[in-house]
Amino acid sequence: MLKTYRALKRNGVIGINERNVRFVNALNARKFLIRVDDKELTKELASAAGIATPELYGVIKNARDMKRLPEFIDHTDGFVIKPAMGSQGKGIIVIDGPLKGGWRLSSGRRIDLEGMKYQINNMLSGMYSLGGQPDKALVEYRVKFDNIFGQVSYKGVPDIRVIVLKGVPVFAMLRLPTAESDGKANLHKGGVGAGIDLATGRTKRAMQHDQFVEIHPDTGYPLEDIQTPYWDEILLMAAKSYEMTELGYVGVDVVLDRDKGPLLLELNARPGISIQIANRVGLRFVLDKAEALGAAVRTPEERVEIAKTLG
Amino acid sequence: MKINFRHATILGIVLIVAGAVIFLVKSAALHYPLTPGARATLWDFEIYLEFVGRNQPARIETYIPAGDVERTFPQEEFYNGSFGLSLIGETGSRNRKAVWTYRYPANKKVLRYAAQTLGETLSTPLPLAFRESEPQVIPFQADEVKRQAFIVWSGNLRQRSADDRSFADLALKSVFETRADNEQFADEVAALLEEGEGVVGRLLLAQQLLQSQGVPARIAGGVYLSDERRREETRRWLEYHIDGDDFRFFPGGAPDRFFTIWYGPRPLVTADGVDDLDVQIALRSRETSAAAVAENAPGPLGDFGRAMGFSGLPLTTQLVYQVLITIPVGIAILVFLRQFIGFKTLGTFMPVLIGIAFRETALINGILLFSLLIALGLTLRFYLERLHLLLVPRLAVVLIFIVMAMAGITILMTGANQAIGLSISLFPMVILTMTIERMSIVWEESSAGEAIKQGVGSLAVAAITYLAMTNSHVEYLMYQFPELLLVLMGLCVLMGRYTGLRLSELWRFRALAN
Repeated sequence: MLKTYRALKRNGVIGINERNVRFVNALNARKFLIRVDDKELTKELASAAGIATPELYGVIKNARDMKRLPEFIDHTDGFVIKPAMGSQGKGIIVIDGPLKGGWRLSSGRRIDLEGMKYQINNMLSGMYSLGGQPDKALVEYRVKFDNIFGQVSYKGVPDIRVIVLKGVPVFAMLRLPTAESDGKANLHKGGVGAGIDLATGRTKRAMQHDQFVEIHPDTGYPLEDIQTPYWDEILLMAAKSYEMTELGYVGVDVVLDRDKGPLLLELNARPGISIQIANRVGLRFVLDKAEALGAAVRTPEERVEIAKTLG
Repeated sequence: MKINFRHATILGIVLIVAGAVIFLVKSAALHYPLTPGARATLWDFEIYLEFVGRNQPARIETYIPAGDVERTFPQEEFYNGSFGLSLIGETGSRNRKAVWTYRYPANKKVLRYAAQTLGETLSTPLPLAFRESEPQVIPFQADEVKRQAFIVWSGNLRQRSADDRSFADLALKSVFETRADNEQFADEVAALLEEGEGVVGRLLLAQQLLQSQGVPARIAGGVYLSDERRREETRRWLEYHIDGDDFRFFPGGAPDRFFTIWYGPRPLVTADGVDDLDVQIALRSRETSAAAVAENAPGPLGDFGRAMGFSGLPLTTQLVYQVLITIPVGIAILVFLRQFIGFKTLGTFMPVLIGIAFRETALINGILLFSLLIALGLTLRFYLERLHLLLVPRLAVVLIFIVMAMAGITILMTGANQAIGLSISLFPMVILTMTIERMSIVWEESSAGEAIKQGVGSLAVAAITYLAMTNSHVEYLMYQFPELLLVLMGLCVLMGRYTGLRLSELWRFRALAN
């Protein structure tokens, strides 16, 4: 056990404790957290910073807004309803399109207007928000995912997670849904994570359930050496999040849309640490290196260049 | 960040040290026992005087133990009969006297003094008044012949000794040696000792020898506390003080425990105007709670001990704190399990609250009841899901259902003559309701397996904290030494700066270990 501890320490693996104390608490000022915790605010700030996000169809804050729900969801190509302050993808409803007078959920089941309102009411009463405070529901564009990852995804939308330290992208991984994760790209639900080389944007090796994997468990395609399109653009989006949030340690979630290119899905002020397994390397040394760059004012473009030399 | 780190470490260590120091003072200096139910031997001490009056004014004086900062005798009792009693403090010594008087006593009379004591040991310091007295040279006073003998003898002892200590050793040896072994000065000692003076005479001589060298010394009288006895004899020994160190010399070997009653060469009891005086000193040992003895310790140190404890509070309040004070132990364990082991629980402090509830039900019943209620509540929760209720009303329905289920279980169990039914009433229903809600969300959002895993994890933590909080040793230590809260707080501060890996993360990241 002690041997494992020493080996992990030597490899620079950081745990939740260290992430919380050294990075989340030290670099993320509490007063700015609302910028990532409230996804409506995130969207506003992102559009001001010139970062593309899925189009917002409407915001439901109360019963009066609820009357306008049919108008917000009048999109035959589907839409997404999510709690503005939810975490870990909790409470998100993904609608693929109309179905027999109701709508079809991404899981294939049917939902009617009544059921949808019930789910939204749950969101409003704070069932999914941190600390249970009253929340609002966002209705937004459903991402039509780029087929580039089709061979290594099972249903759902793959996304790209970039860890950004003081504006410098330091780690990236491609998160792929599996049958087990029910089409969601969350690693703790059984999704696959593949580390991405920052310089090239090509995937390195991958993991599922904290173990290394070579191929996607459902499609059987190799996970290594897939080129992420729009890579420089994605890195730039991630770097720009620093000016936008003023948070020193964030996880930036980006999705690739078939038509609109990379879109910022959400930001996370407490990004998970499984990304270390996906990249097969501990975070500490890279984080130390990025932290040592100091407080010099650099443009997002400069920071992207630094990022490419970090690996 | 570095400064924060050092600051927290210092704070944590300061808290732990502060708590530990108070703890040590109480356990080492005040002898608060470290285990529950520790016993101390308390001695009942009694002077019993029996005599026949002569029908003329009678005066009976007896020395009784004097209290001071380090000793008190709150349980003192006098039996006076028809005699008048006055208590006199002797000036110049620490002695206290009980003086019984009566104008015309006739027939057989009885007087009695009783007290309780823990006694003293060789390591008990000499009374403060004695230790603080200035050392002074008191020359030997007697007729010329004796004075000459004393000077020759003491001069020789002085020559053969290096310092006051060795002088005292030699002097005591010389005084108490029998004639045959003491060739050289046998005559001098014999001349100085008057016939029939026995131990007191020899002790007096030793005292004079020491005083002539400027060593404060005096004769003490008392009893040895070794056996229960109705007729214990009084003993005499010598107390002296050299360079800040206390010494006691017991002729014939030191006892384990003794009780000092008076000082000086005079006998314990003196009586005028009575016949057939019979002095009986009785000793009886009694086992008593060591904690109670410590709590009654006299002096400012004793006050400090009392201020750092709950013994001064009303009993009902004490009982409340007896439970409350163990909760931080559970919390600290929870912090450890979360930060170092990596347990996942439903809600931060929920397992500790469940652990507290187990107090009423005991462990096995508690776990069974808890699981049963959670299972029933979850079933209802899944049914309610279909009714599409709003969050707060739905929580209220679950809560009411929980109360109903608890009442139902109580009624059923009482019908079946099972006592556990009654204990359920204190189960924290709000906590149960929130647990059910959280579990059902995890169930839907992740999986049934994850929900059950977290539920079982919470139960395991609850069981661990329950076992710790109800451990009689922990309960006792926390209650008797509330300053340990500072230690727990300091530990939590230090744990709050632990940035290493958790045990569960060793497993999680095992793939990266090579």
